[in-house]
Amino acid sequence: MRPGSGATTTLLLAAALALAACDWMPGRPREQDRPRNPREITDFATLYANNCAGCHGSEGELGPAREFASPLFQAFLPDPALRNVIREGVPGTGMPAFAKAAGGSLMDPQVEALVSGMRRRWARPSRVDASVLPPYSEADAVAAGYALGDPGRGREAFQRACAGCHGADGNGGEEGGSVVAAAFLGLVSDQMLRTVVVCGRPDLGMPDWREPPPELRLSVQEVSDVVSWLASHRPPDLEPARGASE
Amino acid sequence: MSEDPTAGRTPHGVEGPITRRSFLFKLGIGLNAAAAALFAIPVLGFVASALRGKAKQAWIPLARVADFPEGETRLATYRNPFVVPWDGKTADIPCWVRHIRGNKFQVFAINCAHLGCPVRWFKESGLFMCPCHGGVYYEDGQVAAGPPPRGLYEYEYKVKRDELWVRAGRIPTLAQSV
Amino acid sequence: MDLRGIGEWFESRLQLGSLYRTTAGHPIPRNSASWWYVFGSATLVCFVLQIVTGICLALVYVPSADEAWTSLEFLNYQQSLGWFLRAVHFWGSNVMVALMTVHMIQVFLMGAHKYPRELTWVIGCVLFIATIGMAFTGQVMRFDQDAYWGLGIGVAIMARIPIVGTALVDLILAGPIIGAETLSRFFTLHVFVVPGLIIAFVTVHLRLVLKRGINEFPVRGKGVVPEEYDEEYAALIEKEGIPFFPDGVDKDIVFSAAVIVAILFCAAIFGPAGPNGEPDPTLIDTVPRPDFYFLSLFAVLALLPPQIETFVLVYVMPVAILLLFLIPFIAGKGAKHPADRPIAVLGVVLICTTISTLAWLGISSPWSPHMDAWSGEPTPVAYVEERSPLELQGAVLIQARQCRNCHALGGRGGQRGPALDDVATRLTADQLTRQILQGGGNMPAYGKHLSPDETTALVAFLRTMRPIGVPGAR
Repeated sequence: MRPGSGATTTLLLAAALALAACDWMPGRPREQDRPRNPREITDFATLYANNCAGCHGSEGELGPAREFASPLFQAFLPDPALRNVIREGVPGTGMPAFAKAAGGSLMDPQVEALVSGMRRRWARPSRVDASVLPPYSEADAVAAGYALGDPGRGREAFQRACAGCHGADGNGGEEGGSVVAAAFLGLVSDQMLRTVVVCGRPDLGMPDWREPPPELRLSVQEVSDVVSWLASHRPPDLEPARGASE
Repeated sequence: MSEDPTAGRTPHGVEGPITRRSFLFKLGIGLNAAAAALFAIPVLGFVASALRGKAKQAWIPLARVADFPEGETRLATYRNPFVVPWDGKTADIPCWVRHIRGNKFQVFAINCAHLGCPVRWFKESGLFMCPCHGGVYYEDGQVAAGPPPRGLYEYEYKVKRDELWVRAGRIPTLAQSV
Repeated sequence: MDLRGIGEWFESRLQLGSLYRTTAGHPIPRNSASWWYVFGSATLVCFVLQIVTGICLALVYVPSADEAWTSLEFLNYQQSLGWFLRAVHFWGSNVMVALMTVHMIQVFLMGAHKYPRELTWVIGCVLFIATIGMAFTGQVMRFDQDAYWGLGIGVAIMARIPIVGTALVDLILAGPIIGAETLSRFFTLHVFVVPGLIIAFVTVHLRLVLKRGINEFPVRGKGVVPEEYDEEYAALIEKEGIPFFPDGVDKDIVFSAAVIVAILFCAAIFGPAGPNGEPDPTLIDTVPRPDFYFLSLFAVLALLPPQIETFVLVYVMPVAILLLFLIPFIAGKGAKHPADRPIAVLGVVLICTTISTLAWLGISSPWSPHMDAWSGEPTPVAYVEERSPLELQGAVLIQARQCRNCHALGGRGGQRGPALDDVATRLTADQLTRQILQGGGNMPAYGKHLSPDETTALVAFLRTMRPIGVPGAR
């Protein structure tokens, strides 16, 4: 070996290393930081954080609007209804339409990503007995052989099952606020009332329909009845907000 | 660095009788001035061609009237009619279409009247908001808050055989609306 | 022929010795070889760095509106070390602007703009403007959404100039819209025209330094008297002059090397800037922000009252720049040492504070709505718990009606309007209702877009917004 060739090799090696090291430098742009067309984002976490977290909470709970992190709710709400609510919103309520076609900002694959992502994240079919679940909408219930909601029966059922928190006349009690305030009823659809009667708001301390002791529980028929009794408090001139299934 | 080597000498042809050399020098200057002018005309003309009045507006079909539900404001996009082949996506220009009713529309430029940033429509609050300096407009384009000196720029429009047409082509500014 | 012979052969032809004596070897006052005097040369070194990296980037970059963004992405992700050269070019430009500014401040504070170096200052101002021009055109080269809408802002400003505004816009855009020809125009400016101007003016700048000498380090209590200065300076050089190269250059080269290393370090650690989203105007969910040199201007444009905005842009700013040029003709003689010039020092402090405050405001831009806050910033859990159904509907509406784009809850959301966390301690229910429906104080009126029920719910929720134990406003 010629003298000095060791040094040359070392130098060359160092240069090669330095070049290779460049790719390891922290400043190198990372693939995940690459700008993405906002219309092409279909990963659930990003879509949810940007579009839903505001009202529904960053973890799908403890937001002012509907809780998602409840297996019961995930079992209760059919896919078409969920898709429809995201796409078209619920007119008359705080839920906006998100589909591009309805004036929102989400493309169809993004809506699908939200639907499937929500199921993946929060649905736990094994934990819910779907056989005893009330039908999603009153129309479904009627189709399944139940009677239309009756305010008179609903009042009785309310006083048995709900009055403990919301007061005998629904005007609010120790634990729960008024559910018959005209302004409140003007801002929610009958379907929203039905959903909350069935699924409750476990995150905020409101039990679902099966939680109370057996003697206080609502039957499937009584769910429709309670909702119709609540809705009967709407001032007569008020158009009820349209439910998603209607 | 030594200074001008001709310093101290009489420059060519400045004084004294006209000699062949001084004549040639003057001729040279004159010829070069003429050549420079001949050269400058096409160069300046080339650079300033943007100034010469090209047609900068044309009627463009935007979309079918049915695509704009009454009472709503929707984003629409058109291809700018004055393009070069390598314009790419920069020639796709968005605008906000407010369908009031029937054949009555308002078509707003995307550019904020303050400094041209893209305004975004929020139908829930019925406002256009600008992300740059906080200009806010009502649904009819009037200023609701912030620094814009005027309402949103509005395109001229017409409805022809169930199609909405706009007269468009140039970027709107305070000096020249769309 | 021996080595010496070869040397002499070249020397007799190239005459480097005399070149050396009139350039690098020019005498400077001993005390001018100071750490304070290193910024100008470092700025020049940055410029050279920019030329080298710029040439490299031009090997790949495509100055076409259709392809520019793609070629930047290619540089970042495919071209070997492309991202690093982009990063060096970016950090080099930042450091160049910063050093140039420091150089300018230092020169002003040391009175170097006074007799006989007025022209040096004026040329320096031209270089300052040319460098800012490089920064702006460079931002356009990074042809992304910020560049696209940044151009839009530039166009909107130009259009405000009376009479010639429209013509200027046409000249800048080279077409009716921001497009291919605009980018080509800015590419030409960034790569040929402005660098050429900078080289030409740097040459003049340096010739002036050589011919009129570098400024001596100022001495307290000693001012410039034009009639006597030349003689005094000659005497100073006579007495304690040293050749710039090699005796006075030590601090310059140490500092310049440090600057280069710092730029490379920043490039390696922080990487290149952008490009962010594709410059597709139909992608309107974008929040354009300028590079840091223009943040203060960006802030000024938000904070000026609309009535005087055009006046400030079109008249005040050009006059301010003109004043910058005229400084040596306004204060061309007298005291040089900063301690003898309190007003000058105060002026520098004032301008620097103003510009940095504005730039700081530009970063946070509290005047801008947060466009995605309404759907992306969760309502703080504390404001959800223990609320009645009606109040919860109000909380939904605070989000769904985009209130949070301008009003923060729990420190998150827009800062354009006041935070709502304790709004109930300030406003009664009636005042809240009036404010929401009629607006006022830069808040839009929501009357047409809220039903009575919605207003009731909003007010019911807002009335709960007060710290525990603090009574609501009555």
